[in-house]
Amino acid sequence: MIDWLASADDVLRARGEWGSAPIDRRRLARLVFLLLVFGLFYGLVMGCYDGGHRARLTQALYSALKVPLLLAATFALSLPSFFILNTLLGLRDDFRYTMRAMLATQAGLTIVLASLAPLTAVWYASSTSYDMAKLFNAMMFGVASIAAQFLLRRHYAPLIRKRPAHRWMMYSWLVIYSFVGVQMAWVLRPFLGAPGMPTQFFRDNSWSNAYVHISDVIWRVLTGG
Amino acid sequence: MIRGFKQLDDILRGNATSPPSLGKGQVDLRVGGLTLVVILLGGICGLCIGSFAVIRTAWSDTGVSQDAIMQMLASVVKLPLLFIFTLLVTLPSLYVFNALVGSRLSLSSVYRLLVAMLGVMLAVLASLGPITVFFGLSTDSYPFMKLLNVAMASVAGVLGLAFLLRTLHRLVTLQEPSISDEIVPTEREAADSGPDEDPPRRSSHGVLDRMGPTPVKARVVFRIWLLVFSLVGAQMSWVLRPFIGNPDVPFTWLRSRQSNFFMDVLESIGKLFGN
Repeated sequence: MIDWLASADDVLRARGEWGSAPIDRRRLARLVFLLLVFGLFYGLVMGCYDGGHRARLTQALYSALKVPLLLAATFALSLPSFFILNTLLGLRDDFRYTMRAMLATQAGLTIVLASLAPLTAVWYASSTSYDMAKLFNAMMFGVASIAAQFLLRRHYAPLIRKRPAHRWMMYSWLVIYSFVGVQMAWVLRPFLGAPGMPTQFFRDNSWSNAYVHISDVIWRVLTGG
Repeated sequence: MIRGFKQLDDILRGNATSPPSLGKGQVDLRVGGLTLVVILLGGICGLCIGSFAVIRTAWSDTGVSQDAIMQMLASVVKLPLLFIFTLLVTLPSLYVFNALVGSRLSLSSVYRLLVAMLGVMLAVLASLGPITVFFGLSTDSYPFMKLLNVAMASVAGVLGLAFLLRTLHRLVTLQEPSISDEIVPTEREAADSGPDEDPPRRSSHGVLDRMGPTPVKARVVFRIWLLVFSLVGAQMSWVLRPFIGNPDVPFTWLRSRQSNFFMDVLESIGKLFGN
């Protein structure tokens, strides 16, 4: 177990087998393990928001499950189109290396998130505002996403050196993944649980569209409506 | 059917349109199984697009309506038809233009090439299907779904047409001896080029890789044809609408002839932001 957790360092540095070897069953298991452990950890901390009342254990457990679920479901939905695009660009033979790069990035994202969890805990200890807590968590996810993007570049670097077309695939992965990820995060809300609202895994109106919501907000801001 | 999927895989990987395969100026594909795969993939895409109508009513108080099920079935039938009709409408002009720019492709080769292109388009569209269903599950905005499907069909269309354009370029350049000498080095030339860089660059080509200059005349003609294909495809989708099914309008197999594809896209953008 300790050995598996220690591989987190190598994943972050894209070092050794994590920087060059293709994905296989053992590496896949390790990356999924890292994603689960660190994702659950950050989710647990994120769900401990109490808003000045008692923290809700059920909400913390829901949030803990939701972080790995968010990443895994987004990954699964984005993968088929990415696979076909790679094939079209003649990069199919490298796909096991690409999978390693992408999965390592997913795991790396949760590692970064977990490293930010103490900051989130301190924030909760110093402010009870729900909006500020939401904003802070959004910032943490933003920081982790930016860090993960650098990690993806690091893992992709040998592939791009080998075939420059990988660069376009890397960008297209970022576009597909973020497009699906934003909506997945919207569907899986609440991650914190507003004070006064009942603890639920999904909100009653959670099956709505983030982009329609955003366009409504933009329209209202522009028209002053 | 399995052979058809194998062929589609060869097309996507670029094996079917690699320079040695196109060396004789012919497209060596058996289209029987591939046509079935294209129809099957079209049906799957139609199912993903039409599922919005069923999903939308499934969670309402009245339950799944007959109209919604009919809409989904209609989309399963109409989506393959959309691609097949577009192919039939544009096949003659591609063949004629192709002959005009000096390609020796026969009509059956042009047909095989177009079926291969539909395979590429539908493989991309079907691979985006899970995302379409996911958004169908999580939105009730009809304009959003229309725009999402137009965007996804555009991505699939661009990639399919890029495949066709590259393959046509390869066919024309491979028939020009001076150019083919440049782009297909002999074994001796390859051996003389010195040791590979580290890490080694792959020698195989992707299906969308450019492989050499194309005569200007051919390039212009192919681009015009691509424009024609895109316009015909877009308008054909308008003629065969509805694919998603407006929730406020009862089910019909085809709508009346009015407006056009591009006006409707603009209206949908207006509705998405205006409401």
